[in-house]
Amino acid sequence: MSVDLEKILRPVDTPMAPYVPKYMLLASGEAVVVRPVERDEIPDILKHVEPLLHVERDYYDVVGARLYSELLAHYRHRYQDQYVLAVQIDGELAAVVNGRQVNPKLGMSLHTVALRRGLRVGAHAFAAKMEYHFDELGHDEVLVVAESPIGFRRWMIEYKLEKRFEVPHELGGVPSWALTRELFDAARSSLVVGRRPVPPELLDKAMDKILPPSDPPTPALDPLSATRSKYDPTATALMVERWAMERAEEASKDA
Amino acid sequence: MRDVYVAGIGITTFTRLEFALSEIASYASMMALKDAGVSEVDQVYVANMGAPRVNHQTALASAVVDSLSLTPAGAAAIENGPASGGSALKAGFQAVASGMEDVVLVAGVERMREVNNLEATDFVATLTHPIAEYIYGVTLPAHAAMFTRLYMDKYGVTERHLAMVGVKNQNAALNNEWAHLQQEITLEGILDSPEAMTNNPYVAEPLRFFDACPVSDGGAAVVLVSKEKALELGRPLIRLSGVGQATDTHAVHERVEPTDLLAVRKAAADAFEMAGLTPEDVDVAELHDAFTILEIAESEEVGFFPRGEGHLALERGDTALGGKIPINVGGGLKGRGHPVGATGVAQAWEIVTQLRGDGGARQVEDAKVGFTCNFGGFGNNVVCLTFVRED
Amino acid sequence: MNREIYAYKCKRCGTMHYPFRMVCKECKQNDFFEFDTVPLPKNGKLLTYTKVYNLPAQYEVATLGLGIVELENGMRMLGQIEIDNPKMGMPVKGNVEVVRREDYDDFYGMVFRDA
Repeated sequence: MSVDLEKILRPVDTPMAPYVPKYMLLASGEAVVVRPVERDEIPDILKHVEPLLHVERDYYDVVGARLYSELLAHYRHRYQDQYVLAVQIDGELAAVVNGRQVNPKLGMSLHTVALRRGLRVGAHAFAAKMEYHFDELGHDEVLVVAESPIGFRRWMIEYKLEKRFEVPHELGGVPSWALTRELFDAARSSLVVGRRPVPPELLDKAMDKILPPSDPPTPALDPLSATRSKYDPTATALMVERWAMERAEEASKDA
Repeated sequence: MRDVYVAGIGITTFTRLEFALSEIASYASMMALKDAGVSEVDQVYVANMGAPRVNHQTALASAVVDSLSLTPAGAAAIENGPASGGSALKAGFQAVASGMEDVVLVAGVERMREVNNLEATDFVATLTHPIAEYIYGVTLPAHAAMFTRLYMDKYGVTERHLAMVGVKNQNAALNNEWAHLQQEITLEGILDSPEAMTNNPYVAEPLRFFDACPVSDGGAAVVLVSKEKALELGRPLIRLSGVGQATDTHAVHERVEPTDLLAVRKAAADAFEMAGLTPEDVDVAELHDAFTILEIAESEEVGFFPRGEGHLALERGDTALGGKIPINVGGGLKGRGHPVGATGVAQAWEIVTQLRGDGGARQVEDAKVGFTCNFGGFGNNVVCLTFVRED
Repeated sequence: MNREIYAYKCKRCGTMHYPFRMVCKECKQNDFFEFDTVPLPKNGKLLTYTKVYNLPAQYEVATLGLGIVELENGMRMLGQIEIDNPKMGMPVKGNVEVVRREDYDDFYGMVFRDA
């Protein structure tokens, strides 16, 4: 008797209410659409997450690597109950957020990555996912952690999160913080915006294709910078630069 | 006193820079020296506010002068809060005007993104009165906010006026390739749409996110020379013709009229007097818009508009490119960024660019007279300069 | 314990100063420390105020109220405010409390509340 191993390895997703798309205007006057991402669209997003692995600043590298693995595992059925939302400006990918349901009363926020800076796109994206946890999935509480100081300030301070330090978060096992329904309702008026339904032409443009970010975060100009930065004693940037040089060398040999 | 000319200018991109502090200063300096066509200088002044505290480095000028292989020229760092740049330019002016030096390099630099935003805010707040202000948690945005409230009450300035300054300057930066913010904003997006208040949250009521300049790294440099040297170098003759500096009470609450910026008034008047100019003569100005309210208030205090009418001039478009007196056409601190020690020098860089006619899309037509106001502390130490193109 | 914040009165011309300065702003004639200390009044009216959202790193609170108050004797000072709906010109009453903690040090200053 043959065992269908895949059947054992592949998690069975709990049915989750779909996220209802919304839109809003950014400081630039551009309209931004927040909408759920289907599994088959994941590779279109992975392509734009991968370059972040080489951006040290604001922990884009750590966040990018983790998000990449989460999205890939979701795509290849190795992650249970994950959802992904895309934030798009005129089709262009401006932010990605994901999270998962731990149980019907508890949500876990995974990552929020902004690919356009200076317009609070990340803040809108985070608010949208919290809205999803509380309003659609009916969670009472969402566990949150931050990898970067920017994230810490946005989530822990702006939403005044409660400590759940007894719960190690899935992301690195660090102490968790929690956004409760009560805190979310208190923050709703100032931090959560968006209009529904999304006008069809806006939604069609977003659903049609995930276009590349126009101005994504890039690695530092100076390859040696990491060796001088007190925040990178491990010199990751230097290593990455060396790999790039080795690859270029290989390529020139082949040619 | 000898006449003093600007022979060369240089700048780095204002953004988050992953270079060492002295490298940023040196890079801008190299560009300025190259622009001037000089390889030897008599004296170097480096304007900087945060090296010891933020970057853990002291005696910055020694590092810069050596990095540029300009030794054994004299070198000194000048720390005077956000007015460090203007103060270093004044020192350079004095050195050349006195006849003591012929070629002086003035560089301004700051690398404040090395620390996180909260630490940067605290670092700038250390310029406030230690006992009567700092211990309360006062920050520069807080001072500007309390000033704004009084200004609104007295002169009828509204949040819309502030947002208009923000939109004007941040969008002006799109014409300046060196500017930090390269992102267009609209009044709809930051003021009128249902999402505007979330896009543009308060940083210190009534000031909002888009009313404040970004925290930036960057450097700028100019080469000041005597007339003889300027003629020899053959660059366009831009004369630094007026210098004014004035101070006011350290603690803001001690000022008799809290909406007055007396140091701005005095420094501007002194600069104009030295130059034999009046505010009406100015073709292009750089004002210190660390917060949008400051552009409005300074435009009145330096004499461009009557007291209480700066916001009306803004409404008329007088301060925009093509207006009566274009202000901050390169983005100002709001759009270009505000690496505190570099700002005063960067203002001079912009004015010289304009007077040379090199402004490109942001060029003020036939600009002959330029003006800068570099505002230190919360108005307790101000340097104003005038520049004139001599044909 | 009733704590005070002191103004400094010039022994020569009687001008009051807050905060401390080495030379009298008015007569400029006094020598080293020729000031009498006088407790600042605690009642006054709120001249201007703000609520700050971007605080220096040491603060664990999300926002902080700050204001400049014109005290009963006409002098002004800056302080923290703990008032729900502050209005310009409203009467306020101050109390000297801890306004900042840094490492192991407490710093005292005036906190104003609705009078």
